[in-house]
Amino acid sequence: MKHEDRVTHHSDHYQGHRSKELNQRKYADGADICIVGAGAAGGVLAYELAKAGLDVVVIEAGPFWNPQTDFASDELAMKGLGWQDTRLVDGANPLKMGHNNSGRGVGGGTVHFTGVFLRFHESDFMTYTADGVGHDWPIRYADLEPYYDKIERDIAVSGPKHFPWGSFKGPYPYPVREPISANSQLFREACEKLGINSEVAPLAILSAPFEGRPPCINRGFCNQGCMPNAKYSGLIHHIPKAIEHGAEILSDCMVTQILTDGTKVTGVQFDHDGKTYEQKARVVILAGFVVETPRLLLHSATSHFPEGLANSSGWVGKAIMPHSSHDVYGLLQEEVRLYKGTPVLALTQDFYETDRSRGFARGYTLNAHGARPVAMAGAISTQRVDGSLLWGSALRESMLDYNRFARITLVGEVLPHEQNRVTLTDEKDEYGIPRAKVTFSYQENDLLLIDHAVRTMKEIIEAMGGRPAHIVEDTAHLMGGCRMGDDPSTSVVNQYGRTHDIPNLYIAGASTFVTSSGANPTNTVMALAARTADHLIEMMKQREI
Amino acid sequence: MAKSSEYPAYDVWDQHQEWDEHTRKIVAKRRTPDVAHQFLTQQEALTLQAAAAILVDDMRLDVLTYVTQHIDDSLASPVGESQRKVGVPDKKTLYRQGLAFLDEVSRSTHQAEFLALDRERQIEVLTKLESDKDTRIGEWEQLTPKTFFKRVLKDAVDAYYSHPLIWSEIGYGGPAYPRGYVRVEKGLVDPWEAKRHEA
Repeated sequence: MKHEDRVTHHSDHYQGHRSKELNQRKYADGADICIVGAGAAGGVLAYELAKAGLDVVVIEAGPFWNPQTDFASDELAMKGLGWQDTRLVDGANPLKMGHNNSGRGVGGGTVHFTGVFLRFHESDFMTYTADGVGHDWPIRYADLEPYYDKIERDIAVSGPKHFPWGSFKGPYPYPVREPISANSQLFREACEKLGINSEVAPLAILSAPFEGRPPCINRGFCNQGCMPNAKYSGLIHHIPKAIEHGAEILSDCMVTQILTDGTKVTGVQFDHDGKTYEQKARVVILAGFVVETPRLLLHSATSHFPEGLANSSGWVGKAIMPHSSHDVYGLLQEEVRLYKGTPVLALTQDFYETDRSRGFARGYTLNAHGARPVAMAGAISTQRVDGSLLWGSALRESMLDYNRFARITLVGEVLPHEQNRVTLTDEKDEYGIPRAKVTFSYQENDLLLIDHAVRTMKEIIEAMGGRPAHIVEDTAHLMGGCRMGDDPSTSVVNQYGRTHDIPNLYIAGASTFVTSSGANPTNTVMALAARTADHLIEMMKQREI
Repeated sequence: MAKSSEYPAYDVWDQHQEWDEHTRKIVAKRRTPDVAHQFLTQQEALTLQAAAAILVDDMRLDVLTYVTQHIDDSLASPVGESQRKVGVPDKKTLYRQGLAFLDEVSRSTHQAEFLALDRERQIEVLTKLESDKDTRIGEWEQLTPKTFFKRVLKDAVDAYYSHPLIWSEIGYGGPAYPRGYVRVEKGLVDPWEAKRHEA
């Protein structure tokens, strides 16, 4: 079947070679490592493993973008940076997928993320021990700390000299962003009035030149793909570096099956332009995010693994978690102009840790968050928290005030729950693979947390001198579905992402998260990937795989 | 709430020479939309356009033609719909059956198809759909009039707020590459941005 990308590009990429054809593949006879998915995790792994001298192939379903000619300063046109293949959604709170929480194409979600680059806190790795909710991770903050340091240094994260929350107190490798947008200024001033600490956000966006890339020009289209290359993405950083170190990237190639030989995996099968190919490898790493990784594992069932690969525990696809991400839009007297500048330039984590007096466990981050007309009008018309719809003159007149709105966004912890999961349906996609069904319902603790956060956001809007005008229900990010753990009967992978059932099959990315935290997850995704890379390099050196 | 634009003198398209070529092409196409449709029949397209006019509260044909074209494009496109609720049909079926249902309701309440109704009656019919969570359209367990209404509203709003004419009215700066913004702080605007109440 013909691939349906609007933009055609080269599909085979390695040092000295770029071709639309796959007839000169570098590792056609087999590689050490095959990575499925070139997103936040896949990019880091490709780079680290190739640098260590391993033969690495990355297979990516979407295109290898050229930011200068494929990206645009336009919301509607750039929705295609998300994974738009249809997923069935179900549950009490069906999730918005696509551009909302996923990426497609080299760089994956990093191509359109806001760049907010936070670490998890100590308590995030032990919510059960600390608060009696969720589950503990098999690792602690200290295990990840050196990898957070490394990733932040490698991509020149900008941020404040002193960061008041969590274990990492700063300073960040690159200077804090300055100036900040009106929306972020208003947020910080209002927080101060209320006695809430706030800071300029740590960002994977340059505040000064780095490796030939310029600092941010405050264009504000982070979610539509950065055109000046000031914002980090795997597309412009890790993947090109991986290629320099010998990796091969196959783009527009959709992996349709994991191949096995009894108890081990031998490689993957993929589709390119309607033709089927194979990639053999000693180790396969699935880095295809929270829906596609479980879908592939379940779909690749064999007589030896009848419930799907790596699924002896039955936990493949289970305990997926978005962040609750409600927004409050406040109407002010003065202009704010939400379109200007990096979307998130200020935040608070004063509500991050459990406070029993609030009546729920865990907590959240609040981000001052820009908004563009399509996103704002869509949200205030069809995602209102009371379930009503806004249309006609009421919508048009509210949007005429677009420039006088301020906005705050929640990143709220959602606790893991077994019934929130990815399963296969009877409906098939263009490759004949069953479509995924994504079921999600908030639990009581999640809803209490949201109520609290919405109240806080309203107070901050009021402290700006504004009126909370639109409260919007939303989610962001997606985590879990192949969680890590020490116990093979209740988890899918170990602390390094190695599946309990198949020694040469690994999983990387947000799907291995045990809990969601109340912070933007990309830094943790990349730090975990770097940790998996170190482990794999060691294992392969010692010939243990 | 504002009843009319606070930026009557501002036209974002005046800045298009400052935009990168790819963006310029994308936005330019919206100013000269096609009237031929790939998926919708002529009758369906007109009905949809009339409903969209009410939903976005705008009667200007150039904008509405683009809104209809955008929805028709997305219906004809092989690209997926990101998510679809269990029990709701694919978008093609949803639109086809939903538009037929809109006419059915118009006929049963006002003895005429939706297009033939005056504005007040069109609003009345749409309001009826908006609040109906119980009726099932066709054989689909979860395809209620409200589901259809919400889908059309979302798609119409996506296109409407992507039109440069609307960007100008709300004072949105629009595309900003390679230029970016120099003055982002409170009360500051770059010289080319919209200025309130400037005649």
